[in-house]
Amino acid sequence: MESFVPFALNALTLISILLIVSIGLAIIFGLMNVINLAHGEFITIGAFTLVAIQAVGGSFWLALLAAPAVGYAIGFALEKTLVVRVYRNPLHAILVTWGLSLIIQQVIQLIFGPAPQRVVGPFPGFVTIAGANYPAYRLFLIGFALSVFVGVILLFKKSRFGLDLRASIQSTEMASVMGVNADRINAQAFAFGAALAALAGVLLAPLTAVTAYMGINYLARSFFVVLVGGAGSISGVAAGSGIIGGLETALSYQIPATVAQALVLILAIVILRFRPRGILPS
Amino acid sequence: MKAAISQGRSATPATRRGLRPTTLVAIATLVVLAALPLFAKSYALTSYRDVLLLAVFALSLDIFWGRTGILSFGHATFFGLGAYGMAVVAIHFEIDPAWVSLAGLLFGVGLAAAVATLVGYFILYGGVRGAYFTIVTLALTLIAHHVAVGWSDVTGGDSGLIGVPPITLFGYAFIGSTESYYLALAVLTVALFGSMRLLHGRLGLVLAAIRDSETKARTLGYRTDRTLLLTFVASASLAALAGAVYAAGTGFVAPDFIALLLSTEVIIWVAVGGSGTLIGPVIGTAIVWKLQQEISSISIAAWPIALGSFFILLVLVFPQGLPAYLLKKVRALRSGKGAAP
Repeated sequence: MESFVPFALNALTLISILLIVSIGLAIIFGLMNVINLAHGEFITIGAFTLVAIQAVGGSFWLALLAAPAVGYAIGFALEKTLVVRVYRNPLHAILVTWGLSLIIQQVIQLIFGPAPQRVVGPFPGFVTIAGANYPAYRLFLIGFALSVFVGVILLFKKSRFGLDLRASIQSTEMASVMGVNADRINAQAFAFGAALAALAGVLLAPLTAVTAYMGINYLARSFFVVLVGGAGSISGVAAGSGIIGGLETALSYQIPATVAQALVLILAIVILRFRPRGILPS
Repeated sequence: MKAAISQGRSATPATRRGLRPTTLVAIATLVVLAALPLFAKSYALTSYRDVLLLAVFALSLDIFWGRTGILSFGHATFFGLGAYGMAVVAIHFEIDPAWVSLAGLLFGVGLAAAVATLVGYFILYGGVRGAYFTIVTLALTLIAHHVAVGWSDVTGGDSGLIGVPPITLFGYAFIGSTESYYLALAVLTVALFGSMRLLHGRLGLVLAAIRDSETKARTLGYRTDRTLLLTFVASASLAALAGAVYAAGTGFVAPDFIALLLSTEVIIWVAVGGSGTLIGPVIGTAIVWKLQQEISSISIAAWPIALGSFFILLVLVFPQGLPAYLLKKVRALRSGKGAAP
């Protein structure tokens, strides 16, 4: 029991991060059929927003508010200038967003330098749960990320934006016939996904070394979340995050982390053979 | 489409038997390459040898991407498996030096073919196509890179493996720069004409049919899953061959050989040369390699930014590849001149 609690919490940490990173990816993919390879860079942008704010003496909480705004603004601008041109061709979308990702990585490295940055989380202590010590910050991360996820679900189900979005995912043409402004929804959805990734970046930053290339590992994982779970559905994202995050944490207790990642990849490929549209497609 | 069909039927046997423009370009390029050692210095020649092998790598991607329209974002996995296969056999096993190259080549290519078969079977037979395929192959390279860095007992970790012997075949060692250059040229020539022969025939037509509409091709009785898988495995094996010979030439392997950056650079080489033309990627590799030398000499950070901008330009300005774009410009210029007076 004592070793189970940290394991469950470690798994939940990864799962909750994957949840909010993948939801943006799933929306963008479900809505516009665009595979956004620059999505991981919004995590990096979020993390470096925290680095910049702490460098000038600002607090973690300020960054938690500012990063999504920065992510939203950059996402919105990129959608309007570049991504909007490649909706018709998924291959072009991959190439353009990949180009963007290379440029963003390099620009961040030019500004902040190649050395890994360290940031500090708001809760330094430990909490004892069922006899096991666990970092307080990670508990906060899990709680905060899960409430953000619940907030996103509510936004989807209850708000006008969510209604328009769901209608557009089902059929963009039909939605625009009914008066939904497709261009605006696309831009807002892209920027919204970017904002969530940036938020995930702030949450992640105190746990890892912040480098310009930190996004790429989460990009691959969250793509598998979307592939395994099914694109364009929230329940799919939840199922995918649970499987990928839970499995990777469980395996990394037994075997080296790299082998665990390779096994998760193999499993995801095997799942695709039998459920090519994911476990819970929209 | 209609025009293309009628053109094909009305073509007389004489014009059909004549050489295609791409074949002519291929022959001209290879002749120039064969004469190059007469003018180049010995040091430059080893760089050119590496470029030739990278061109084989680009060709291998073009065989799959150019013909099926499905982009593999993970081709460096196979190049790297070939290179590491060669290095691991040469360094960790005690094999008779006369046979070690052959064993390394077989092991590297076999390893890549096996991984391509496994991954290809699950995703191609599962109906994964288009963008999904690209993502899965992208993840494949990421994982392969992690393994190459993490499994240091076998792969040497971050520093890689040093001391891969030069290729020795049937008692002849390709040690000097001129010898190894001609070996690379021979690999390129065989790969180029082999793939042209294959893809200009029946297989090429079937792949074109699959690219246009896989459902139609399947309805006509072609086993499209199998054709795609075989093409993917062939493409991966060629990439591994290039990687194995490359490792024997440079004498070392490093995790860079199996990294995402290489996977994406090769896409640019193919795209700049014009995907689907087979000889185009060979020329594209040389052009981009030269560009990379120039840009990197200004600043190391400039290259990834240039590469990123390349991707964006490629889609927005010349989606058909650079040669097609230039041809169109030239044609527009000519017809413009003709109409102006």
